[in-house]
Amino acid sequence: MNASLTTPSVEEGAEKQNMKHTCEHHAECMKIIQSILDDEATEAEKDHFRENMDKCIPCIESYRLEKCIKDSLNLKIEKKPCPQSILNTIISKINS
Amino acid sequence: MLVAMSEKLTTNEYTDDLRYEVFNREFMPHIDSMYNFAFRLTMDEDDANDLVQDTYLKAFRFISSFEQGTNAKAWLFRILKNSFINDYRKKSKEPSKVDYQEVETTYNSEEASDTTYTVDLRADAVQELIGDEVANALNALPVDFRTVIILCDIEGFTYEEMAKILDIPIGTVRSRLHRARNLLKEKLKSYASSMGYDS
Repeated sequence: MNASLTTPSVEEGAEKQNMKHTCEHHAECMKIIQSILDDEATEAEKDHFRENMDKCIPCIESYRLEKCIKDSLNLKIEKKPCPQSILNTIISKINS
Repeated sequence: MLVAMSEKLTTNEYTDDLRYEVFNREFMPHIDSMYNFAFRLTMDEDDANDLVQDTYLKAFRFISSFEQGTNAKAWLFRILKNSFINDYRKKSKEPSKVDYQEVETTYNSEEASDTTYTVDLRADAVQELIGDEVANALNALPVDFRTVIILCDIEGFTYEEMAKILDIPIGTVRSRLHRARNLLKEKLKSYASSMGYDS
């Protein structure tokens, strides 16, 4: 993810009482959050993220959840090495 | 089917030495990723072994359609995905619980896309899950939804690369990924609830 886009935190906040507790366009925001996390966001989506994501509790929570799921998929799921027998078979077949 | 990742069919002149050199340099470094992709598609070790072998032998046979300097990993993943669909999917041991087309049609309906779709799941609950639980939730998804999550979140392909691997438009990659993630959240929610992580 772009380093300039900092992760907002719900806890930070003397301003919390000024934050939005409902999001009237959450479906659209979810698409933007996904694009941001996948590093596929357009400039307009990045602008929307910067301007709105630290003011809207449902969007901040969603961002945290989506990021956590993405990180879990990448880091927690076991990656197995390809068995040596398959490597040997491939090499012997292409050399025959 | 076995065309280069570029849109046009290109055939490059390869000497025998170059075929082996390109195979070893460009293709072999991706074998672990290919094996894991095959295993997550077939959910069966023997089928994954066969699928990886078949893919690499096809890649060698059709190496003249690989354009050097293009993305070898995406090229290999595309061959593996096509081999899976053509040769393995029909005999897959995975019980087909859900008809994929039906799922996609349902999720593509205007009603579904206009609805704010939320699953009551907290990030803290996901953090408690171990790798096997996350893998089981992923494995419980219909294969086409599972595939986009593997390609994007595990293998780190861009939307453009995924579009080429899967032969679908980028807009469809985007929407399928969105729907796949919503389904995954439901599965993760079930795991988190069963483990008592969401209380």
